[in-house]
Amino acid sequence: MTRIARYAAVVLILGLAVTLTLAFRRDPHDIKTGTVGKPAPAFTLPSLTDASTVSLDAYKGKIVVLNFWSSWCVPCKEENPALVDAWERYRGTDVVLIGIVFQDTADAARDYTARLGNTWPSAVDDDGHVALGYGVFGPPETYFIGADGVIAGRHIGPIDEQTLLTGIETLRKAARQ
Amino acid sequence: MTARRLALLGAAVVMAAALAWAARPQPVSAADRVDRIAAELRCPVCQGLSVADSPSETARSMRALVAQRVAEGRTDDEIRAEFVRSYGDWILLSPPLLSPNGLVWLAPLAAIAFGAWLAWRRARAPALMPAEISPAERAELEALVAADEP
Repeated sequence: MTRIARYAAVVLILGLAVTLTLAFRRDPHDIKTGTVGKPAPAFTLPSLTDASTVSLDAYKGKIVVLNFWSSWCVPCKEENPALVDAWERYRGTDVVLIGIVFQDTADAARDYTARLGNTWPSAVDDDGHVALGYGVFGPPETYFIGADGVIAGRHIGPIDEQTLLTGIETLRKAARQ
Repeated sequence: MTARRLALLGAAVVMAAALAWAARPQPVSAADRVDRIAAELRCPVCQGLSVADSPSETARSMRALVAQRVAEGRTDDEIRAEFVRSYGDWILLSPPLLSPNGLVWLAPLAAIAFGAWLAWRRARAPALMPAEISPAERAELEALVAADEP
């Protein structure tokens, strides 16, 4: 093998090693592709609990935690205590938690929220088009929307309290600056 | 012009007209467009299935959204771009060549080109020639061969 071929092989192997190292260092729950870094798609959906609507526009200037869920989804139940804690902690502040039910029936979702005592606003994305607009893969998924209306982060799968608080506090700090 | 030539010319004109008629742009129905776009989109919750092939609820939602956009008069490119905005190029089963995902298509071509270059270099390398030996070495070799002979 010539010297050039040897160099080329070394460069290829190094490139592969660097690529794999960077890929394995990434948090698989934190996928940056798609809508992250872009303005959050607007929506107005029927409320789960009454005849009103839930609109993202109504929360302009606030930090919005958007949680996509379904009543049949087991990881959604796992993450529910973390959402309850965040809701209780930030209730009445500049942080809003909104649930979006999709791939579910409204009756099952209402029963779920009643059983678990969830009182934050939830909307029904009946045809799943809002979820598609956000690039959701499946429930649960959580989006962090800054006061500027841009999606700052996304968490795929059940979210824990620490990740929720870190995401919210990072956005609060950015909003104060 | 003879009758025979006229007949040949007429036949050629008829054939050309028939070919042109067959090759005319066919009107594409809305359902065909939905099928075509759905076949180009990846089902996000499946393993390598298109939206057209997947029975999942997510794929059904995507197909319904495609149908809605077609009915609204959006072009195919606009509909594809809407999904790319949400999911990235990854959502296309055939991502554009000049994108991070598209570079994956170029890797095998680069490997083939590299292998071809190595083979070409090897083919061009001069063949091994028998080395010239001096008269003294020849004499020594002949002596050794003679000594070995019974």
